[in-house]
Amino acid sequence: MGRYIIRRLLWVVVLLFMVSLVTFIVFYAFPTADPAQLRAGRQPNPQLVEQIRHNLGLDKPWYVQYFRYMKALVLHFDLGRSYHYNVPVKKQIFDSVGPTASLAIGAAVIWLVSGIAIGTISAIRRGKLVDRLSMGGALVAISAPVYWLGLVGLYLFADDIGRFKIFPGAGSYTPLADDPWAWFTSLILPWLVLAASFAAFYARLLRGNLIETMSEDYIRTARAKGLSERRVILRHGVRSAITPVVTAAGLDIGILLGGAILTETVFNIPGVGRLAYDSIQNSDLPMIQGTVLLGAFFIIFANLVVDVLYAFLDPRVRYA
Amino acid sequence: MRRFAFTVIAALAVLALAVAGCGSSGKAKQGGTVTILDTEGGVDSLDPGYWYYQTDYKELGPTQRQLYGWKPTETKPTLDLATALPKASDGGKTLTVKIQPGIKYSAPLQTRTVKAADIKYAIERCFLPQVGNGYASLYYSDIVGADAVKSGKTTELSGITTPDDTTLVIKTTKPAGVLTSGGALGMPCTVPVPKDYAQKYDKGKTSTYGEHEVFTGPYMVVNDGKGKITGYEAGKRLSLVRNPSWDKKTDFRPAYFDRIEVKGGFDATVAARKTLTGKAMIGGDYAAPPVAVLKSALSSRKDQVSIEPSGGNRYISLDTKVKPLDNVNVRRAISAAIDRTALRQTRGGPTLGTPATHFIAPGTGGFEAAGAEKGPGFDFTANPKSDLAVAAKYLKKAGYASGKYNGPPLLTVADDASPAKETAEAFQSEVEQIGIKLKLREVPHATMLAKFCQVPKAAVAICPNLGWGADFFAPQSMIAPLFHGKNIVPSGNVNSAQVNDPNLNAQIDKAIALTDPAAADKAWGELDKQVTDQSYFIAWLWDNNIGLESSDVNGVPSKFNSGEWDLAFSSLKK
Repeated sequence: MGRYIIRRLLWVVVLLFMVSLVTFIVFYAFPTADPAQLRAGRQPNPQLVEQIRHNLGLDKPWYVQYFRYMKALVLHFDLGRSYHYNVPVKKQIFDSVGPTASLAIGAAVIWLVSGIAIGTISAIRRGKLVDRLSMGGALVAISAPVYWLGLVGLYLFADDIGRFKIFPGAGSYTPLADDPWAWFTSLILPWLVLAASFAAFYARLLRGNLIETMSEDYIRTARAKGLSERRVILRHGVRSAITPVVTAAGLDIGILLGGAILTETVFNIPGVGRLAYDSIQNSDLPMIQGTVLLGAFFIIFANLVVDVLYAFLDPRVRYA
Repeated sequence: MRRFAFTVIAALAVLALAVAGCGSSGKAKQGGTVTILDTEGGVDSLDPGYWYYQTDYKELGPTQRQLYGWKPTETKPTLDLATALPKASDGGKTLTVKIQPGIKYSAPLQTRTVKAADIKYAIERCFLPQVGNGYASLYYSDIVGADAVKSGKTTELSGITTPDDTTLVIKTTKPAGVLTSGGALGMPCTVPVPKDYAQKYDKGKTSTYGEHEVFTGPYMVVNDGKGKITGYEAGKRLSLVRNPSWDKKTDFRPAYFDRIEVKGGFDATVAARKTLTGKAMIGGDYAAPPVAVLKSALSSRKDQVSIEPSGGNRYISLDTKVKPLDNVNVRRAISAAIDRTALRQTRGGPTLGTPATHFIAPGTGGFEAAGAEKGPGFDFTANPKSDLAVAAKYLKKAGYASGKYNGPPLLTVADDASPAKETAEAFQSEVEQIGIKLKLREVPHATMLAKFCQVPKAAVAICPNLGWGADFFAPQSMIAPLFHGKNIVPSGNVNSAQVNDPNLNAQIDKAIALTDPAAADKAWGELDKQVTDQSYFIAWLWDNNIGLESSDVNGVPSKFNSGEWDLAFSSLKK
């Protein structure tokens, strides 16, 4: 297992290297704004634009620029300076990770708990009213776009512009270290909105798997051995049926740690997603590169965690 | 009797202006915190050498002082650091400016006073690529030695000298009206920057002075007092507090608020609603709130909405190097075919501005001389609605016998975001009526400018989502950059119509050298008529700026800053 993890960690490095290369090439291959031009403002003279281009090293071939970027990153962990805001990228990104992690992890707890509970109950009560209601509700939750759901949530429940002033509204995010209670309350609405569609999807996924699993021979054997129905369902049924849910959860959490753009935008949470979106709008390559690398890191790392978890969940899986 | 009535009205008008100019001080409460909700990135940079957009002026302007400032209701510069308007000599080629003694910087330079040399360095650094200023070459190129600085041969402007700590002498190669009037010296390039302190930050790839800035205005960005800014996170928040080094007696700005908090990243609808329903808030970096919120605000919270002419316009650029737009009659036909009121509707309707009949916007010098609101009287601009008969007439003149264009589609690059996207699509359906089909590409705004509309090589026929605003009410800033042939450059080309008429160029050069404001306004007005006749750019809207405020805020809009709130004059209500 130890060797497997080390091998996978080395792959993380290779993949991150490839992601950074692809991002760089994409930025140069497709039409986007000229950073020197953007940096030079509205009415610059051409000499100024050229001087800025030279200063930023943009007059060099892309592979030279890429080499310089990677050298600074590897040797000094320097992600460069934003072309748009002229501030260090590393600081901007690190400042944004906390809010995104708060949002993603909190929402994940909600959607996993509720999704697994609803999925299990629906599978056990298959065809009954509770199953129909749950699956009908899940369909609605999956269909509702996060952006729309967020705005509706704010117009209904935000304490500033809402009809029923219950939760803090957009822009109320407070860092955990500053005020834990304010942090918690400011994230309730975003957590619920972000978790809604995920919970619905997970409930449907688990329900389908559990129904299938419960018809397996080893379940019948477990029942024949006299185990309680609760034990059969939870220890034998859910444990087996939950494997795809773990896979999906690992990937989803990894993706969200790289930024939940829509939720962060609606609720004005200063996270990585919002930063990535603004960077793309501003053609701010160093910032785009930084956010993409961070997102890729989380996704690759989440994959690794999922693979390791498999071994614990499914006794048939063992890594050499 | 008529003369008496006129005198009384004039006196009342002067009184009203005086009251407004004082920021409605009778209603103003001293102190309190105001919060600004931004939607996008907020300010571009803390560095005054980089400020050039409304949000920079609005949110950071109160942190600094310039040679000349701008009272909210006035269109002429006000004395700020300078003690008088520039004193011209040598036929207008030498300008002498005296500055106030004893103006102090914020910590860590709190014991140091502003010297004339600091303003010299501030102007010089505006030419540095590390700073990336967008207008220095436009307004300060006539200063002796500017060419050497622009080319990077030296960093010192030999044309600026400081005989003593309170005297700045600027020598120019020819008279420059924008400097003589004080207008171009009322830009943030004249915010003093102490060379001995800032120079180390101005080296390297980009200047980091903004992260260590010192302040002279009534407010300062929260900092640790040792030269490190702590109250700014790009795109997220900006915190301004009172600057203890500021002396109210030396400044024309009342600066009522104790603290100004800017929060970034809001959805525009949410920000606008919060501002309207909340307390002590002011709208942020959006020129107009979303249409639905605006309509609702105008019906139920009208006193919380400010509608001010922005001094700018919206226009459609036609590249004269692309066929058939090289033919003036085709360009005139397009001008006649567009429905300016329908285009305005895509941005929110009549509240958003007045259909334009020529280029220079109301409030800017030369507007009256160009025909004011009625315009120069050309039949292709006279009707704010589509005039297909006039369009057909010009297309026939251009050689299209049927009165309709029958050539290949024209490459058109537009913005992919509302409301500009809708404007482009409305334009597309309007020109289709005269047979012009568009190959419409919608891309992000920054890409639209930097890869297409401002790159002659891209050969984009039509750019329907452009706009322009005057700096310090100077008509020169509306006409010269966009229509002078020397401004056609490979990238960042604002002369996107690629106008290069030697006769027009000569007239523009002549107008730039006029130092008498009345003569200059007349000359620029005449030039506006000419370019409107040629329909290089079709101005279709003179913009309004829509400001929102909470019910307990007494916001004061600034004419200089396109109608945006002036935070140094706004206050909470008593």
